[in-house]
Amino acid sequence: MTIPRILEPPGSTQSGRAAAAARRTARARRRRTSWRKALRRDWRLYSLAVGPLLFFAVFRYLPMIGNVIAFRWYQPGGNLFGEYWVGLYYFQMFWDDPTFWHVFANTLILGALSLLFTFPAPVILALLLNEIRSSRFKRFVQSMSYLPHFLSIVVVAGIIMQLLSDTGPVNQLMQAVGHAPVEFLQQSGWFRQIYVSSEVWQTAGWGTILYLAALTTIDGQLYEQARIDGANRWQQTWHVTLPGIRPTMVTLLILNIGTFMAVGFEKILLLYNPLTYSTADVISTYLYRVGVQSGSFSYAAAIGLFESVIGLFLVVTANLISRRVVGTSLW
Amino acid sequence: MVAATGPGAARTEPLRSGRSSRIQVGRGYRVFQVFNVLILLAVVAATLYPFLNLLAQSFSSETAIAAGHVDLIPKGFNLTTYKTVMSDPVFWENYRNTVEYTVVATLIAMVLTTCYAYVLSKRNLKGRGFLIGVAVFTMFFNGGLIPNYVLVNDLGLRNSLWAIVLPNAISVFNLLVMKAFFENLPSELEEAAAVDGLNTYGILLRIVLPLSKAVLATMVLFYAVSFWNSWFSAFLYMDHANYFPVTVYLRNLIAGATSGSNEGASSDTALQVAANIQAVTIVLTVLPILTFYPFIQKYFVSGVMLGAVKG
Amino acid sequence: MNSFTRRRFLGLTGGVAALALAGCSTHAPGGSTDKGDLSGNKDGAMDAFKVGDQFKATDPLNFSIMMLSNPGYPYNAHWRFFTDLTKMTNVSLSATVVPLSDYNQKVGVMIGAGNAPMIIPKTYHPAEQQYISSGAILPVSDYLDLMPNYTAAVSKWNLQGDVDQLRQADGKYYLLPGLHQDVWVDYSIAVRTDILQKHGLSIPQTWDEVTGLLQALKAAYPGKFPMSDRWSSTPPGPGANSLLAILGAAYNTQAGWNYQHTTWSAAKGQFVYTGAMDEYRQLCQLLNGWVSQKLLDPESFTQSDTQAEQKFANGDSFVISANAQEVVNTYQKNLAGTPGATVQKIPVPTGPAGATKLGTRTENGVMISASARNSKNFVAMMQFIDWLFYSDAGKLFAKWGEQGVTYTGSVDDGTFKLEPDITWAGLNPSGKQNLQVAYGFFNGVFAYGGSTALLNSQFPAQELTFQQVMDSRKTLPLPPPAPLDAQAQQQTTLWGTSLLDYVNQQTLKFILGQRPLSQWDSYVNELKGMNMDKYVTAVNDAYANYKKNHG
Repeated sequence: MTIPRILEPPGSTQSGRAAAAARRTARARRRRTSWRKALRRDWRLYSLAVGPLLFFAVFRYLPMIGNVIAFRWYQPGGNLFGEYWVGLYYFQMFWDDPTFWHVFANTLILGALSLLFTFPAPVILALLLNEIRSSRFKRFVQSMSYLPHFLSIVVVAGIIMQLLSDTGPVNQLMQAVGHAPVEFLQQSGWFRQIYVSSEVWQTAGWGTILYLAALTTIDGQLYEQARIDGANRWQQTWHVTLPGIRPTMVTLLILNIGTFMAVGFEKILLLYNPLTYSTADVISTYLYRVGVQSGSFSYAAAIGLFESVIGLFLVVTANLISRRVVGTSLW
Repeated sequence: MVAATGPGAARTEPLRSGRSSRIQVGRGYRVFQVFNVLILLAVVAATLYPFLNLLAQSFSSETAIAAGHVDLIPKGFNLTTYKTVMSDPVFWENYRNTVEYTVVATLIAMVLTTCYAYVLSKRNLKGRGFLIGVAVFTMFFNGGLIPNYVLVNDLGLRNSLWAIVLPNAISVFNLLVMKAFFENLPSELEEAAAVDGLNTYGILLRIVLPLSKAVLATMVLFYAVSFWNSWFSAFLYMDHANYFPVTVYLRNLIAGATSGSNEGASSDTALQVAANIQAVTIVLTVLPILTFYPFIQKYFVSGVMLGAVKG
Repeated sequence: MNSFTRRRFLGLTGGVAALALAGCSTHAPGGSTDKGDLSGNKDGAMDAFKVGDQFKATDPLNFSIMMLSNPGYPYNAHWRFFTDLTKMTNVSLSATVVPLSDYNQKVGVMIGAGNAPMIIPKTYHPAEQQYISSGAILPVSDYLDLMPNYTAAVSKWNLQGDVDQLRQADGKYYLLPGLHQDVWVDYSIAVRTDILQKHGLSIPQTWDEVTGLLQALKAAYPGKFPMSDRWSSTPPGPGANSLLAILGAAYNTQAGWNYQHTTWSAAKGQFVYTGAMDEYRQLCQLLNGWVSQKLLDPESFTQSDTQAEQKFANGDSFVISANAQEVVNTYQKNLAGTPGATVQKIPVPTGPAGATKLGTRTENGVMISASARNSKNFVAMMQFIDWLFYSDAGKLFAKWGEQGVTYTGSVDDGTFKLEPDITWAGLNPSGKQNLQVAYGFFNGVFAYGGSTALLNSQFPAQELTFQQVMDSRKTLPLPPPAPLDAQAQQQTTLWGTSLLDYVNQQTLKFILGQRPLSQWDSYVNELKGMNMDKYVTAVNDAYANYKKNHG
């Protein structure tokens, strides 16, 4: 018998090509329709969009004019537009500042490492949970796993400090096996590992919720068919489950790529110290130390715009790549 | 029609392939099952332990906490901090505010987000790219603190519930995830409904929403938790203590317990705020969510609807 | 997903909403020497308000005020403090209530948006500097003739030099500071006096004696670190900031949370860079000695306060940095379970600088919005502030309330006593009514500073002895003012940040032994490569300019 579609590996060219073809027709169809026809046909849909668009316009786009201070001399308490144009003065300021590039690199590295580990963790956890037969145990594990999400950053930092202190459990374990105690929080070489592990621990459980919701949308009949065709559980997971949650995964991945530079300011602020600046200092903590003086608002605004442009570029690129390679994308 | 899924089925139903492969699958899979349970138990230990520790601290005496003797069992059991916090009428007033803000905000957020996500999921809609772009752009570009403050101020929303509800009404993250879910629904359903005479609103309400219970439940949870935990908007836009949500109240308590040092020789007096105030705070804010969550969990039952299509 | 990252709100501020821009007027740039004609602003003011007068407005007035709500005694509009204040002065206050946790941020936003209240207390210098160049706050030094009590206090207690520290490049200052008659020293180190007694050790007077004490303790308890310190998270210092601060004073330099980029060298007649001073090196050397002899826990510089307190409470350490509050509220309380344990804050040990006391006589104070200047009650407001914050009667009222109601006796002759049913901090622990919570007196927003007699009235006996020893010490001379103008500030900001980061990092490395002190000279050269000389030149130029223009 022919191999049913479900046993094909996910992302194969056949499904990709079919999806691409469908998209092209849709796009062509959209372009052929004139605005008048579209409005007449879909006015109800557009009506649903009015409220949200109003929200975006008023509460998101209107205040964006504020970014103009990146190009003007701004003084807090003075003219909200800034006093006068200074063009790219502030951009020049951070462009020439070697410390900025150092913290920029740290931000990229920390963000990328976080993404690398925090993205797969909820997926794996969700898949593992999916294999549990007892629904009671499943629900219990799931409810406990998201608890760290609710711990405040201060508490999490406190926990980490206690764990890694000279007399804490980790060092006690090390001494038990004959190793000298290590001052983890005072060494820049350890910071990234500490940060990323705590991120995974804190976000994995909460992240599974979305995937569990996605798992419910997979047609049970697909599993039936796979079983009938002789697939074992592992093959079922690879050919049915993963493709089923792929849209969610792709969406989350693209969104996380776009925002990966937003590393946790408060957590780093609480865990870092001058000895670990070389790996721990990121843009937000650097700006915090630069402090609040009259010029720093414009300086920070310029840096903020720079980061935003990067983020947008990354999302657009990720979206494009995803569309070509996997067939699913944000838009 | 709910399909019977789950690994148990593989063992009870006879496979067309040979007997030997069934046993093979069984053993390898059973080993995996054992490991799976062990791993998950480890996960529970790692995530539950700090929370139990906090719970124990919230019921422990100060000296025991200060000496670091509290592990999983409270030492010097007392309810002092709980009593101090919960006997303060301001605490309850703020708690009521939190509930009010969360309910209204979640409602409005859900309505706006669902509508927009549904619109965005229609691949044939003219202008769809623009509408998506409008949302995605705002993920990266933000006006900043003071322009947002001036806006809310000029709209006359300060010191009202709307200052908290409106400026954060749509999370683009949630929007895009919901859109992905809607796109995944088979189009035959909607086409069939249209043939039956339902217009867009009807399709949305009678067909799409009932089938999307899982994602709707998830989004309600996400929005509710985020509004529940938020303190910044309230702190910024409210000028009177009786408008604060409980998160501001508790955050202030924690700051009071840990402040003082960098203000040098200030003449501020000794603050009698308990050492376990942080623990009590977390317990009091998390408890409602923990009790609310099981209601959401029941929506995560698999295969709710899709069988209905085939036929 | 809905998180408001700190980066966003610290960074992307400014700009305006296009909607209803009517409210956003441009402020006139600050710095005009013409304070203008006050004849239209005298409504409600007293005609001949002078020292010793009870201020009473001629009409009932209302002023807006930024009210910090301290969680220990949350704001209550019905406090006796407010009702009595209105009765006495005919002034009521409409408060914008802000939680302590994020007070500065809210002040910044409200001033930035242009709708801050008229009176903004709890402002710590130099927080007011960022608002000066936009003209959002009032140059109060122009209006001192409206404030007789303030000027009298400055001259009576010889505070001109201290107040001059607040002056900006235009010669004016923009903050009305809290004034103390004398330097109030609060931070020092605390020791387990019972352990000292057990081993026949005496309280150290100098830092060398402290070293000896720590060595003796180490010999008695080889497995423990005799000292494990705290207060490491407060900027700008690298860690163990209180310890470094008092050491800095003892060595004629500045360190820890008192670190400033430049220190005045009277011998050279100019400012030098603090992190490169030889005295700073000596300080690092002392601490490096302690760490290498395992007298000081190396974690002191990075651990949380809770961890340090735990070690002290468990008897794993015996010496820790302290202030009066912490001794009572934390250390003694935590050691209540250990039989016979006693903790005492010892007078600050002395070093090469001799018997000096570190501290300033000015503290947090009041900013006034520039928009208040246009109010027709402006003069009355200034008189009100003068009476409440600077007159003897006003300070006594704000702190202790009323004679016969909340206290008896007088502070000046030592007969002062709180009414027995009223409790505050360490006084009258069995009282049922808390002075701050129930009545609203001794509120940190209004009650601070004042004469030494007033200050001493709040101390329990143990603290009084500490204060008496410290009072006898010499006050360090103040550096001359050298304010940078807005342009120079912007230029030096980035230099300053990288210099400070480097100094902090290398200080820790020297202390912890990760870098040998023999490399000090190369360290100074590295600092030079980071614009250290340019920074110092900018400050010295500012000093010369100020001297030239304002004498």
